[in-house]
Amino acid sequence: MLSLTFKNLWARKWRSIMTAIAVVFGIALVAGTYVLTDTTTQAFDEIFVKSNEGTDVAITARSEVDQEDGSTPSFSASYLKRVKRVDGVELAAGTVFSPGAILDRERDSTGGGFSPQFISSTLPERLESLDYVEGTVPAGPGQASLDKAAAERSDLGLGDVVTLVGTGKAEPFKLVGLTELGGASFGGTSIAQVTLPIAQRLTGKQGEFDQISVAAESGVSPEQLRDRISEVLPDDLRVETGTENAERNADDIREGLSFLTIALLAFAAIALFVGSFVIFNVFSITVAHRTREFGMLRTLGSSRNQILRTVLLESFIIGLVASVVGILVGLGLAQGLSAILAAVGAELPANALVVLPRTIIVSFLIGIGITMIASLIPAIRSTRVPPIAALSETVAAGGTSRVLLRGIVSAVLAVVGLALIAVVLIGGLSGGSAALKMGAGAVCVLVAISIFSPQLVRPAASAVGAPLERVGGLIGRLARENSQRNPSRTAVTAAALMIGLALVSFVTVFASGLSSSVDKVIEQNFVGELVIQNSGGFLDFPPKAVEAAGEVEGVEAASGQRYATALLDGKGTSISSIEPSTVAEVVTFDWNEGSDQSMTALQDDQVIISEGVADSQGAGAGDRISITSQKGESKEFEVTAVIAPGTLGLTGDLVVTQDTIGRFFGVDLDSSGLVKVADGADVDQVQQKIEDALKGPFPTVDVLNQQELKDSQQEQINTLLAMIYVLLALAVVVSLVGIVVTLILSIYERTRELGMLRAVGMSRRQIRRMVRYEAVITAVLGAIAGLVIGVIFAFLLGIPLEGDGFTLSYPVPVLVVILILTAVAGVIAAIYPARKASRLDILEAISYE
Amino acid sequence: MESTLEERRQSETPRSEIVVARGLERTFGTGEAQVRALEGVDVAFERSRYTSIMGPSGSGKSTLMHILAGLDRPTAGTVEIDGVEITGLDDGELTELRRDKLGFVFQFFNLLPVLTAEENILLPLSIARRKPDREWVDLLIDRVGLDDRRTHRPSELSGGQQQRVAVARALVTKPAVLFADEPTGNLDSKSSDDVLRLLRAAVDEFDQTVVMVTHEPDAAAHGDRLIALRDGHLVHDAPPVSADAVIELLKTLA
Ligand SMILES: Nc1ncnc2c1ncn2[C@@H]1O[C@H](COP(=O)(O)OP(=O)(O)OP(=O)(O)O)[C@@H](O)[C@H]1O
Ligand SMILES: [Mg+2]
Repeated sequence: MLSLTFKNLWARKWRSIMTAIAVVFGIALVAGTYVLTDTTTQAFDEIFVKSNEGTDVAITARSEVDQEDGSTPSFSASYLKRVKRVDGVELAAGTVFSPGAILDRERDSTGGGFSPQFISSTLPERLESLDYVEGTVPAGPGQASLDKAAAERSDLGLGDVVTLVGTGKAEPFKLVGLTELGGASFGGTSIAQVTLPIAQRLTGKQGEFDQISVAAESGVSPEQLRDRISEVLPDDLRVETGTENAERNADDIREGLSFLTIALLAFAAIALFVGSFVIFNVFSITVAHRTREFGMLRTLGSSRNQILRTVLLESFIIGLVASVVGILVGLGLAQGLSAILAAVGAELPANALVVLPRTIIVSFLIGIGITMIASLIPAIRSTRVPPIAALSETVAAGGTSRVLLRGIVSAVLAVVGLALIAVVLIGGLSGGSAALKMGAGAVCVLVAISIFSPQLVRPAASAVGAPLERVGGLIGRLARENSQRNPSRTAVTAAALMIGLALVSFVTVFASGLSSSVDKVIEQNFVGELVIQNSGGFLDFPPKAVEAAGEVEGVEAASGQRYATALLDGKGTSISSIEPSTVAEVVTFDWNEGSDQSMTALQDDQVIISEGVADSQGAGAGDRISITSQKGESKEFEVTAVIAPGTLGLTGDLVVTQDTIGRFFGVDLDSSGLVKVADGADVDQVQQKIEDALKGPFPTVDVLNQQELKDSQQEQINTLLAMIYVLLALAVVVSLVGIVVTLILSIYERTRELGMLRAVGMSRRQIRRMVRYEAVITAVLGAIAGLVIGVIFAFLLGIPLEGDGFTLSYPVPVLVVILILTAVAGVIAAIYPARKASRLDILEAISYE
Repeated sequence: MESTLEERRQSETPRSEIVVARGLERTFGTGEAQVRALEGVDVAFERSRYTSIMGPSGSGKSTLMHILAGLDRPTAGTVEIDGVEITGLDDGELTELRRDKLGFVFQFFNLLPVLTAEENILLPLSIARRKPDREWVDLLIDRVGLDDRRTHRPSELSGGQQQRVAVARALVTKPAVLFADEPTGNLDSKSSDDVLRLLRAAVDEFDQTVVMVTHEPDAAAHGDRLIALRDGHLVHDAPPVSADAVIELLKTLA
């Protein structure tokens, strides 16, 4: 029995391999994702464990609400004295560890893109975790060290000058030492060290620490010391053993990475979903081809169960092989993914690839599971073959088409799917469960369409094939007829492609809506001409930069803005700031209550709120709301105005003054500065002047005009879009494999027919063209269905977002290009099958039965 | 009746050889498994004649016909069709040759299931993108008795009707030679008779040339000439006398 299965698989090895490929891609992404995130997590674990070496107890400030940049509040340096007095403390020292910019000789960043850079202070040797592999520890003003990897990236050596930017002006330092963290990799991150007073000055943390590190006297355990120290310190400080601190930090990273994991796994799920269509098709066709064989086995006394088992055993083996290959490919993919991330400037730290048992087990479960589930219906169908089929001349045409049953099942699925989507659309979009519902709804609708689609193939293929018939005459006609000959086969093949393309068009429409909405906000709400922002795109910069810009000749007003997250009613809420004296010159909004004047009049104990906050708090102008800072302090603010929706993140849900966000919320750096150019001044010249003025002291800052701002936003959207396209390409490639394998199987079925066509004078080229046309028809069917569905989904999802200033736009030319590319992909998918069909030996073909 | 036909042909058509094969050899496989299907066959076929090829199973009939029709290449020897040496032609040239000069009828009816009977008949012309000669096509369809079946698909036709469609398809291009390999192998005697009559008529009325492989003495008796193969050698070449005589001949070959 088993050997028969292997012989069968071997006899049909090409189709078995193609079937396996349909799963391999998805499994590779699953395994690759796990390997990548596990490897990264382990690298971070190592970083945190190593950086706490020698530290028995670590004291940090609690953060009541997580900030997007992950920063934690600093605390007063005066606590150090108290800590030092605790019994059992051998050594205690405060440090600063703060985001900043580290620039090389050319004043280019030493890190890449989004990789963070830190300015930290040196510690006494016992507590210092960095190893100085070259040079010496910075001992005074003008001296700094840098991690060796960053130095190598930027080709810096001892004695070279590095420029550090914290919350003030850029300052030059001489590189006196190169560090390593016990061989741990930082990825794209770089760390510079300077002495404590300088670090405090650079980062604006005079009289403050980010952490106090403590070493215990011998005989005192870290736990004992932790308990003793926490008794003398207030509650808003967190006292942990070094190990606890490392674990907590690692957990935070793990949480941060979980988003990446989920996103990548979602794409894997899509590829696997598409792959299951391909498997279903191959097994259906194979079972149809083997009707006579199964009939023969039945006449020889095989039971239905035995037949079922043979087919399922084959799919089990295919799934098993696919999983093994998938895991191996996944290892390569993990490296590929981290290369992609590094290329877009988010290099992750990496050591040797980490393959956990979980990765292997999950990959096998999914790989084998999907293959067997997808082949279940064909397998059951195989058991229905009666013994008499052994004698029948013709090969059965495949699945029975029970139109009514199909109709009912797909209608039920469609209703369930649409209901799920409707629940989300009406009930609000936020939260993971909404995304899950949305996804489940989309899957239901797609499956419903796929089940019903055989009914649509005939008319649809006629329509799509019509132009081909006009161009190709008989060849086009035959291609069209062939695609209609087995509607469910064509339908499943096209549906697989439809899924990928639905997602492609969905994100395309959505991204285009996003960029046109961003453009609109920039045009309508931003009345200034120029924007000052960090060249890295994400890191903030010293407020002095905006001040300096304000003094440039030809500048009417320069207004800084900051962003953070605060707590409102226990929920993290975005908060932004404005400079009342200048803000009205640079932005304008629509107001539910109040006017642009309300911004100018904003006091330090007042707040402007968004419509969302107004609704959830039931608050309006004149009411008071209590807002909690990251440090956990609460304060009442008076609401003075309510902004109408549609600012698309140009403001937070809460808006306070620059002073308040700095003093009360602890945000010292500007996220952007908006500049109004004086009437009559030349914008380009002013831009140049500001650039010149800021270049020296604030090298991390860029000045953009409105068009450049739009372009930079566009670029961010496009980068994201490109990554999504790459990941969706996996699903599309799987569906193209589906086209290839289905074509090959169809050609195999029609061998005799092809031989006859050749015998009556059809040339190889004509045969190739016929196969190509058939592939194009299938591909275009899938593409059109996918584009339509994607656009509809984008439209539906756009409705509830309209309130946030999001308006859809339909990039018709792009969608047409996608359609054409898909047709081209169909042609490419047909290359091998077409060649195979045209190379058929006529003699063998006509004597083939 | 035989003789009158013979006379008519002699008087109307010049005797020329349309297919000429010299020293044909065909070997399959190598070493132990080597099979010599043809071991030196010289044969020529004249225009407007109906030749039957007979012989025991495995004697090389199909092999000979495939080589004559350019579907297979001989290991040695040459084939000329209508004055063209075909053994050296490439695939494109062979395709052209099949379009212009050859017609085929196979044992299995080999129609395209997606096309109607008439479309199947016109298929060789459509493939070559040629305009059909309507008169000729109508005559042909009428003659094969499918006038009322033009728009039927193959699945709606009987085996005999399907084979008649195949014959009409082979004739639609007015080929130099029509090759048929056991065209009645899958038919009952009534349908066989229809098909054989049709081939006979193709020669008599339309001046076509037919070469047919068959196992049936009755079928062979329809022809003007009977050649027989045994073990890859041509062992008999004469006009058939009667079905009974053919049976006798076959006995001596077996
Ligand atoms: N492709 C092939 N490979 C190997 N041997 C072959 C091949 N085709 C034919 N033969 C062999 O060549 C010999 C002649 O075969 P051929 O098909 O010409 O016989 P036939 O006279 O047509 O027989 P039948 O009456 O059974 O159709 C046989 O022994 C056959 O086994
Ligand atoms: Mg034969």
